[in-house]
Amino acid sequence: MHINRRNFLKLAAVVTGAAGASSTGAATQNFGTEPVASHVGCLVDTTLCIGCRQCEIACSTRNKLPKSDPPLADRTVYRKERRPTDTAFTVVNEYSGKPSPDQPKVKQTYAKVQCMHCLTPSCVSACIVGAMTKAGDGAVVYNPEICLGCRYCQVACPFEIPAYEFSEPLKPRVRKCEFCTDHTQGTGANPACAAACPTEALVFGKRSDLITLARDRIQKRPDRYLGRIYGEKEMGGTSWLYLVGRPTAELGLLDLPDKVPSHLTEAIQHGIFRYGAIPMVFYGLLGCIMWYNKRKEENGMQDKSEDLISKMTGGAPKGRAP
Amino acid sequence: MIHPDPCRQKRPFFTFGTMVLFLFMGIGFAFGLSRLLLGLGAVTNLSDRSPWGIWIAVDVACGVALAAGGFTTAALVDIFGRKRYHSLLRPALLTAFLGYLWVAISLLFDLGRYWNIWRPVFHWQGNSVLFEVGMCVTFYLMVLSVELSPAILEGLRDRMDKGEWGAAILRWIERPLKMAYDAVRAILPLFICAGVVLSFMHQSSLGTLMLIASTKLSTLWQTPILPLLFLLSAIMVGFPMVILESIYASASLDRKPEMEVLGPLASRIPWFIGLYGLVKIADLIVRHNQLNFLSHPGSTVALVIEIVAGVLVPFILLQVPTVRQSRNWLLFSVLLVIFGVMLNRINVFLIGYHPAYMVKPYFPSVGEIALTVAIICSIVICYRFFVIYFPILPADGTNPEAGPDALRTASHPTLSPLLTWIFRGIAAAFLLFFVLLYAFVHKQAMTQSLKAYRDVQVVKARATFPAGNAATHEFRPAGYRNYYVLNSELLNSRSGYFEPVRFSHRTHDVNTGGDCSVCHHRVASDKNDRVGEDIKEMHLNIDVRLGGACSSCHDMTEKAPTACAQCHGLPNEADNPARIGLKGAYHRQCIGCHAAQPQGANAPTACNSCHHPLTPDHSKLVTLPSTASTRQVTERCLACHENVGQEILKTAHWNWKGMSPDITGHEHSVNVGLNNTVDNYYISMGSNIAQFSKFHIGSEVLGTNHEYSDPADIDCLVCHDSTGGHTRGGPAGGSLQVSVTNQTEMVGMLVGRPNRANCGGCHFYTGGGPNFEHGDLEPSLTKPGAELDVHMGMVDMRCQDCHQISRHQVAGLSFAAPALEGRVACEDCHGSTPHGITGFLSRHLDDHVRTLSCEACHIPQFAREYPTLMATDFSQAGKDLPASTNALGMPLYDRKFGVLAWGENVVPVYRWFDGTREIRMVGDKIQPTETVSLNAPLGERRNPLARIYPFKIHTAMLPYDAERKTLVAPRLWDGYWKDYDWTNAIVTGMKEMGLPFSGKVGFIKTEMYSALHHTVPPARQALGCTDCHAVEAVRCQRCHQKAEGMDQPTHTRMVYPETTNRMDFKALGYQDDPALIGGRFYMRLGRGRPPQ
Repeated sequence: MHINRRNFLKLAAVVTGAAGASSTGAATQNFGTEPVASHVGCLVDTTLCIGCRQCEIACSTRNKLPKSDPPLADRTVYRKERRPTDTAFTVVNEYSGKPSPDQPKVKQTYAKVQCMHCLTPSCVSACIVGAMTKAGDGAVVYNPEICLGCRYCQVACPFEIPAYEFSEPLKPRVRKCEFCTDHTQGTGANPACAAACPTEALVFGKRSDLITLARDRIQKRPDRYLGRIYGEKEMGGTSWLYLVGRPTAELGLLDLPDKVPSHLTEAIQHGIFRYGAIPMVFYGLLGCIMWYNKRKEENGMQDKSEDLISKMTGGAPKGRAP
Repeated sequence: MIHPDPCRQKRPFFTFGTMVLFLFMGIGFAFGLSRLLLGLGAVTNLSDRSPWGIWIAVDVACGVALAAGGFTTAALVDIFGRKRYHSLLRPALLTAFLGYLWVAISLLFDLGRYWNIWRPVFHWQGNSVLFEVGMCVTFYLMVLSVELSPAILEGLRDRMDKGEWGAAILRWIERPLKMAYDAVRAILPLFICAGVVLSFMHQSSLGTLMLIASTKLSTLWQTPILPLLFLLSAIMVGFPMVILESIYASASLDRKPEMEVLGPLASRIPWFIGLYGLVKIADLIVRHNQLNFLSHPGSTVALVIEIVAGVLVPFILLQVPTVRQSRNWLLFSVLLVIFGVMLNRINVFLIGYHPAYMVKPYFPSVGEIALTVAIICSIVICYRFFVIYFPILPADGTNPEAGPDALRTASHPTLSPLLTWIFRGIAAAFLLFFVLLYAFVHKQAMTQSLKAYRDVQVVKARATFPAGNAATHEFRPAGYRNYYVLNSELLNSRSGYFEPVRFSHRTHDVNTGGDCSVCHHRVASDKNDRVGEDIKEMHLNIDVRLGGACSSCHDMTEKAPTACAQCHGLPNEADNPARIGLKGAYHRQCIGCHAAQPQGANAPTACNSCHHPLTPDHSKLVTLPSTASTRQVTERCLACHENVGQEILKTAHWNWKGMSPDITGHEHSVNVGLNNTVDNYYISMGSNIAQFSKFHIGSEVLGTNHEYSDPADIDCLVCHDSTGGHTRGGPAGGSLQVSVTNQTEMVGMLVGRPNRANCGGCHFYTGGGPNFEHGDLEPSLTKPGAELDVHMGMVDMRCQDCHQISRHQVAGLSFAAPALEGRVACEDCHGSTPHGITGFLSRHLDDHVRTLSCEACHIPQFAREYPTLMATDFSQAGKDLPASTNALGMPLYDRKFGVLAWGENVVPVYRWFDGTREIRMVGDKIQPTETVSLNAPLGERRNPLARIYPFKIHTAMLPYDAERKTLVAPRLWDGYWKDYDWTNAIVTGMKEMGLPFSGKVGFIKTEMYSALHHTVPPARQALGCTDCHAVEAVRCQRCHQKAEGMDQPTHTRMVYPETTNRMDFKALGYQDDPALIGGRFYMRLGRGRPPQ
């Protein structure tokens, strides 16, 4: 292999040109840094939930999931805190104690758990092939066709929502609430749970309207609600918002910071790899070093071989000026 | 210096060690196969809380880190030109190649949808760290193959030259092979640099990977410079891996370890350890405020071990020359570094991963460990294969194969410069092509993914809520409906499993005391106003104090409260988002108010109490042969409804006896039943029990010693057949004649909640025929007109809507059957001030509720369609008197029963009843001179618990034991009706009952009460004031002196003028008409005079 300056420059030109072209695909649009006006959401008023679990039934029916094992009348399901599973996209958990200070006679509080449809979803940022995407209306939807089953979305989700069909050998899917987005019809979020709730503890609508409504309720009933909408800012904001009458930690809702983790990872990724610039510069640098060392070796080898030849021939080295 | 050329190793491939490796591989891949066949859940301990296990942490993360020897050695030798380590280059590249290859293979086991592993090539998600890792690793694997291909090609060349196995095939492709070899040599520099760059990229990105789980990754490892730490540790572990592999290869291939290169190589390692250690400890110091060492002690320990054993100790050790020159110490030191890096990866991916909802900490399963071990063994096996069959390791003295080869030692290429540049150009173009291809395909893939979700339509549901039926009432607004059937299309469209909800407006508005605003809380100004004004606020603004019936001020025919549906529609409507939808309004209002009622109120909160579930179509669930017997049908029912059998065995309908706390003298008994009481119609059922089997809910013939203990004897269809095709007759020939039309069809499709025909099949025919006994249970109640009974006719209520059933126990106090399983009272629904907004008389009517039962005024007559039996004279039975009939076609004489008397439109008698009564049983002592009351109600005027109830009284002449003066139980079927001999009949009967009989028969007058609760006509047919009270007593001005001119004819109406002296006040214990002289408890008229 023979590298001289000319060859090297030609090489470098070609490769840098290739690198520059690679920039077209590097950056993809990052959905959801700001809530879009048309984003929908759902407001859960935990002071109104009576724990009837009609939302679970409606969800299972709409999504063709198997019926929950103990029937609705069996309240023993509430003994353990449940999480969404691959056959139950949403669950309701019971916590003892009154939901709000102005409901002294009510003995239990209920809180519904489901995908929060974050404004800046970690799972969407994490998914290697983009099987998790944020639809135009804000729902986080899943495309099993391109999914590899790497389960990075499960690692990424701070609310620990995506469930995996570990029991399925050939075509396991990630399972979670998709806001009842109908892929076949192309229709958007239309949650069955909110439609089914008999006490209208779940209110579905535009997220901005729901924030207004929630603030309105807080302002009108300070004796009932704590002055905080859970989900307004957590992890950068979520589409599912909770109104609570008691501390969220008592209702199984995690205490999460407002920081969005994907902002850090994406900053690192884009910072290092934008336009492939740094790798290409590094590549060029390595190329230079390699060329330099090659030169040094050749010169060294020339010196050494001349030394050797002169030793062997015992005469003055030929071909080199003293 | 001259370095030894790489050559093939002359060693056997199959040794004992190899066999052991193959064994582990077999075990591990067997588990791997199970994973492919049965799924991840069957083989691993992965779960939703721990989605990544050792297959990611060890096989992938450690695998990639430990394969760093490839690029570090390539950089050292080919970029930085340190040719002294040339002999280590090919083994390092081989180790790296095998490492990455087996990373990819282990991913095929870990990925859920492994067959989609090619997708990232075409579906880019540029924000994903894992995408970058994946693409880099894939590309790097290609680069490594190119870097390793000279060795492969040389090996093939050797094989061909030496004429070994396969040489003939290889000679066919000799020229392409040579071309390939030359081409590879030409483009190698491009790929070497690419390899280093790519390695830097993905080694660091593996560190960025876990930063997305910022809320779950332990603070001990969570730092923004984690990618840098991963990169530095990868570089740090590169040379140790090379040293390890070299020492191991020497040991297993029986070669001398190359300490003369390993030692100097090892002297470079402390620089990298130092750099990594410095950055890591500096990071911990800078972040010391965020670190939490106590929350997870295990993680803290792991971190300490990682730093001490993995960084500090080898850093010190490797600076000692003796360590570097001793094979064993060197091995130990590099193993520490390698262990430290592996522990670091495991810490970041597993030990430091703390999801908040984790219940059980993750530990790998046997299958996971086995497969990981198998992967490691595979790498070793492949390594052995390659070093034996291809020139990887350098020659040493024991290897006589070494020899110069023209190909290898050539210092000039055999290609012309033009061709060299053509190949380089092709390689560069190849890179460019891939980049462009990705850009294009990526754009297309993204567009396609988005297209599916871009179009958003929000589905709007329109709901209509039709009001139900029921007539309007005077004093109520025109839109007022007494009774609503809430049949929402929306509800039915979602599930057709429930009956419509029935809402009785009337019972609710009396419970509020006539205050409509309890529910109708806002008033709309016109029919388009959907917001309205709060009623309480509105009245406050005009200084009017609320409380009491609306009708006390307003003429309700004009001032209708706003209907619920006028304001409440769909939830979350734009014009007023705070207004909840109709569904929410109903449920919150109903359930909320009901939940706040005191214990014991009939205020349901459970879903099914209002939404009665429809019985599912059993034809899909049950198959029975068309010739199935009753018993087989029952067994089939019990197969699914398992507990029902035992439930029914405890009920009064099954045992025909039960608790009788309302019967004086028998409050604590459970044995008073139809078997041992005396009645006026068949004298004693106990001695004739077999004949009454068809009225029992079992399918067996009853007997004296009948065991009521086999659930399969229950005849489910008696109550649950809704076709009317299930009939029972007999007994005949020792069994009941149960006949059904189309039994299987019936069971299949029309099993349901009992309807009135089911209950009435027995209860309408007690006493020997239709309405004979009760008087108020007429067979026409199966399909009554509204005038016959409002509840069953107008509102279509079923029996069990009042006689609530719990665990098959039916509530209701019967005067004929002694067992009590719960009480039914009109107040349960109608409340204790039921006259509500009847108008100006409501208060006066409500005053009567203390004294009169609802039935007293509201059941003015009984037996309105079917005549009822009023008297039976058994003393005249058995004679040959003519069997004449009366005007209604009912027999006046029957040989079996004697002289009969009937009644139609009978006025009841009125008695005090405080909820307790007497009973006469067979064998009870009686006074023959008096009329014996078999089941008299108890109560008197001064007992505040007692109220006046209407009754039917049936009088009879019954046989009795004249000597012992006790009531007897004669056998009628196959007894008296065979030979018409009372003595014989009574002997037989009493013997069956096990009771003594003197032999002397007499006749005694008895009376039997039937309480009246059914056939309630509409309210305007209830008794008027002067049906009971004297006309002069009922004048408003007697109390309301200023009320002259306000007397209305309706205030003194008499609805049944043909009945005189309906209410015998003196018989009830009053001195005279209480409206004249004073009430029940008061000495004065009314409650005193109104204020002047």
